[in-house]
Order: sequence, then C-alpha cells, then structure tokens
Amino acid sequence: MSVPNSLDELIAALRCLPGVGPKSAQRMAYHLLQHERDGAQRLSRALLAALQNLRHCTRCNAFAESEICARCAAPRRDASLLCVVETPADLNMMEQSQLYNGLYYCLMGRIEPLGGVGPRELQIERLIVRASGGEVQEVILATNFTNEGEATAHYLAEVLRARGLKVSRIARGLPVGAELEYTDAGTIGQALVERRPL
Amino acid sequence: MTQKQRVANAAAYVLHALPYRETSLIVELFTRSHGRIGAVAKGAKRPRSALRGVLMEFQPLAASWSGGGELKTLTHAEWKGGQPMLAGRALLLGYYLNELLLNLLPREDAHVELFDAYARSIAELGAGGAAAPGLRRFERILLAELGYLPLLTETAEGGVALDPAGEYVFVPDRGALPAAGQSAHLVRYRGAVLNAIAADDYSDPAVLQQGRQLMRTLIDQVLDGRMLNSRRIFFEMQEP
Ligand SMILES: [Zn+2]
Repeated sequence: MSVPNSLDELIAALRCLPGVGPKSAQRMAYHLLQHERDGAQRLSRALLAALQNLRHCTRCNAFAESEICARCAAPRRDASLLCVVETPADLNMMEQSQLYNGLYYCLMGRIEPLGGVGPRELQIERLIVRASGGEVQEVILATNFTNEGEATAHYLAEVLRARGLKVSRIARGLPVGAELEYTDAGTIGQALVERRPL
Repeated sequence: MTQKQRVANAAAYVLHALPYRETSLIVELFTRSHGRIGAVAKGAKRPRSALRGVLMEFQPLAASWSGGGELKTLTHAEWKGGQPMLAGRALLLGYYLNELLLNLLPREDAHVELFDAYARSIAELGAGGAAAPGLRRFERILLAELGYLPLLTETAEGGVALDPAGEYVFVPDRGALPAAGQSAHLVRYRGAVLNAIAADDYSDPAVLQQGRQLMRTLIDQVLDGRMLNSRRIFFEMQEP
C-alpha cells in the first residue's frame, strides 16, 4: 500500500460529512481545488478556528466561545426556567417563537435504545447538576415528538421529579392554523388521546 | 429470495430506521406477508415528504415496496391508525421487542403468527396495564416460530408428560429433564409451572416470575453472546 497523496487524503477526509459518499467527496475535492481555492482556504481556517475556540457552554451545553455563552450570561433572561432541547437547531427554533425568555439545556442528542445511546452516553448527569443548583424552578422538556424524543422526555421527567423539580412537557396537537380536514390522521388521533378539559 | 417484488399495502411495522444519504432513510420493516424486509425510503427526511412522520415505530402501517435485491425501495406507506403512541415504560419495552426481532428474525421469512403476536403486544402496550404476561407470550411465540423453543410440556428424553408436582431443569440444547441428579446450578421448575408457561397462563405470580427467568435463559442462549442495547438502557433508566 502506498501512502495516500494529498488528494486522496482530502477525499477521504470529506467523507466524514453526513450523507457524503465517495463520489460526492471526489466532486467536492475537485471543486475546491479547481474553482474555489479562496473558499478552500477560508474553510480550512474556519474549521481550525472553530475546533480551537469552540467548546460546550458549562450552563447550556451548546457550543460557545467562552466558558459561559452569551445567552446564558444575559441578565434579562429568567433563570428559573430551563428548557431542554435535543439539538442547537431545536434551540434556535424555540428562540424564533419569541415567547420564551428562560434558559436552555441542549442534550446534543437523544436517548436511542436501539442505537446504544442511554443516559450515560448522553451525560445526563450534567443536566441534573445544572437543574438542581437551586436556581431552576421548572424544567420544560422540549425533546422531539418522535419515539426517541418521548423516551428521552420520560426518563428526564423521572429523574428530575425525583429531585423535587417541577417538570413540564411542551404540548402536542394540531399545528397553528391547521384545519382538521387537511391534517394527518396520526396528529389528530394523538391530539384526541391528549385532549384537555376546558 | 432476490426475486423482483412489487408488493402493495402490506400490513407492516417499522422496527428501526437509520438515516441514509442526505434525505433518505433505511427502514427495517416487519411485514405480515413477507416477514422482515429492509427498504430505502427515498427522500423520507425532506420536510414535505409524504413519508415524513409516517415511518414511526409501533404504528400499524400499510406499506408498499418494489425491488429484487437485499434492499427494497419503499414506494408508499400509510398509517392505519388505532394505535396510540407508546409512552414511558411501555415505549422502552416496545424497543426491546423490536431489537429481539432485528436480532433473531432473518430477512424475508414470513411468520404470520409472530406478526399477529407482535401486533397484539404493541396494542396491549399502548393500552397500558400489566405488560409482563404479554411480553412472555411474545417471547414464547418468537422462540417457537423460529424453532428455538424446547418442549415445555414433556421431558426431552422419552417424551413423558410432565408431572405437575415434579421438579425439572432445562438443559441447554436438550430441554426439560427431571431435576434429580442434575447440577445444583440449574434453576428448578415445577411441572405445573412449565405447563402454565406453555399455555401463556400467568394468573399465578410464581409462574410470571419463573416464566421471566426461563424466557431470559432461552433468549440469551439464542442470542449467543450478543447484547441487547435496549435491555441495557432499560435497566440504566430504572436507576435514577
Ligand atoms: Zn450557554
């Protein structure tokens, strides 16, 4: 076996991206080298800087430049509310609602019973420490309404309640503006199962 | 096995789904007519895909697919309804059933009785109530359908009907033998208990406890050292 040359190495490296197979990796490599040399420089600098500078915020576990991220350090946010989400993308969506002024904890994943991701792999202990510091009054579980998201919420509710915390789950039901006629049967069925008294 | 297939609206459940390429999924389906099949659900992760949100575990589906290779192409899937989402402990037990099937059921081998037993267990888990008797029944049918269940109502050698008051042990790869003279490490089962397990009659708590022990032993034998993630995570989640 010969030592892989720079081109082979680049192609192999690009394959670590999600959804990138050998063909796409080759196309990307040729594109960067042939048509996008400035872009490639910028990409390599940005990647290096991100790897060196970013870490997990000690409060919300999302990526941060410093020990505590700007959002967690903001004085105007309500520190008695802690909203648990699966990913930074979910956190951004919660922010876009502009209806939540508490703080967050980002799991960076979810419990996957078949994938071998359990409480230990997710480092749930860090969330428990974060939530039981005395400041947090209510933990809002905003994991996805998938089976894995539900399993995660179920587990978190048990462990957090056992520590005397108030735990709530974001509501599930029809999308805003939805008409029953055009909504999928699964959503309607679950909305019926989880109906609430008025 | 690799014949070209075109199957429409088969009763099915998703056992597991893995991301594939940018926007697709590879789903393992348990179907009534064709057993376990693997299929690519193209574009299923796109926001407007008709499959998005449909390919959920523990929901009865009508699935259509085509293709001849090891991996089929899922062409359509639709919710049949009537099954609330599993929640809490029942959800974790559902994952255990799925992992058993993924590990023990070969692809494209139809097991109608096993499919119906699975559907019944999922419905029971969704309805709440005691899960254990249903799980033991499913485990028994799984082992029987795959040819791994030793005779529970007669002795392995001689085929003598078990004496309800007699004591028996299970010797791996052989079956039930009178306990007299057998190793003290082997668990003792009363004949009446084994008969009850064979009939899925768990009205006696002692049968439930021993049924759990026996099924665990038999399933571990079949798994042959393979560990179940869902089982480990289930126990991790019980100790907050
Ligand atoms: Zn933060």
